[in-house]
Amino acid sequence: MALAAATLVVALADVSGWSATTHVRGAGAAVLGPLERLAGRGAAGALDTDDPGVRREQLGHDAAELARSLQEARQLRALLDSPGTSGARFVPARVVAVGSQGSAGPERVTIDVGSRDGVTPELTVVNAEGLVGRVISAGPWTSDVLLVGSADLTVGVRVGSAGTLGSLTGATGSTAGSGARPRPAGQLGLELVQRGAVTVGDGVTTMGSVGGRPFVAGVHVGRVSAVDPAGGRLAATAAVTPSVDVTTLDIVGVLLSAPRATPRAPVEGAAR
Amino acid sequence: MIRGLSLLGLLRALAVLAAALTTVTLGARGIDTLPDLVLPVVVAGALLSGPSRGALLGLGAGWVVDLVPPGSPVLGSAALLYAVGGLVAGAGRREGETSIAWVAAVVLGAAGAVALGRAALAVLASAPVSLGEVALRLALTVAVALVAVPALVRVEHALVRRHLA
Repeated sequence: MALAAATLVVALADVSGWSATTHVRGAGAAVLGPLERLAGRGAAGALDTDDPGVRREQLGHDAAELARSLQEARQLRALLDSPGTSGARFVPARVVAVGSQGSAGPERVTIDVGSRDGVTPELTVVNAEGLVGRVISAGPWTSDVLLVGSADLTVGVRVGSAGTLGSLTGATGSTAGSGARPRPAGQLGLELVQRGAVTVGDGVTTMGSVGGRPFVAGVHVGRVSAVDPAGGRLAATAAVTPSVDVTTLDIVGVLLSAPRATPRAPVEGAAR
Repeated sequence: MIRGLSLLGLLRALAVLAAALTTVTLGARGIDTLPDLVLPVVVAGALLSGPSRGALLGLGAGWVVDLVPPGSPVLGSAALLYAVGGLVAGAGRREGETSIAWVAAVVLGAAGAVALGRAALAVLASAPVSLGEVALRLALTVAVALVAVPALVRVEHALVRRHLA
């Protein structure tokens, strides 16, 4: 009974934002993170013997592993070529654990890079399709990422070619703001914060935060899929389909620095 | 006796840890809806030891679920949910042989309590709730538990007998 009461106190402290609970989470990440990294890696990289006999025996196993690593290589290539990472420094990472607390798809994932790889909280996480989420805690070996579509995540965005400012959240119902309509799971709620037009098909990109934390500017988030009837509201609200499918995440990148709009390398003068 | 109980406790803790780690890592392999693998361990323990110890076991198991990265949105929420699950399952304890139908009813009660609590928390956090996914997860959990709980109860009985003998 006393233990249950203590747990309730911890839960209330976590809801009210008491910082000591992050240390408890950090301890869990430091102890259990390496286990997840091992489990997430599977057999990849474990096979480095030069004995051809062993290699032949494990050929069938190899083929499955090869397919997996080929797929990972393809995703990493796509991430390197994507506009979201062009000119940016980022740490590639693999999703090793998916939390299942939400009642509609995952809200948090764990990736296999941590503070030892230079990852700190409040960094942007992207993949080849666009915005994945932001780092909420970084253990030594693993980090936790809050995904786009989670009720706790709100992103400042620009909509369409005019760049109308808005705010995007995965939360539904009345607490999301002034009269936002309930959305089905997998749809994000967009609410403009200034007057402007929204049409179906408009692209939604991040507005960016000061210093690029937690979100760098110009990362693709999704497309407007439906515009709500005005219903007397001052600013328009709409549903946005995220470009990233959070249920099939694999290779992601943690942006350490914001991408340059026009990346350019320094050159050396050659006057004679 | 004490040694037997502590061995049983250690084995339960390892089973809970393995179940929690398996759930999160399988989720990363692209499987959308997974059954609750921790709940069968809690239900099996609670069926043997009654409501108060069942609630305690659920609380401990829930803390493991809370702490395995990426963890729960609210720290301690899974602990309280599984404590209720353990309490419900422990209340279903019967002396002597129990039928599989009774085990099914207990499993459904415990899994239903956890699922309901989870959905209520999601609604409170104004997170979307997909009823289809909740129902599918509940059905999968009950199906897995119907196989796992009798097996776990048998293992626990065997352990207790060996150490009491």
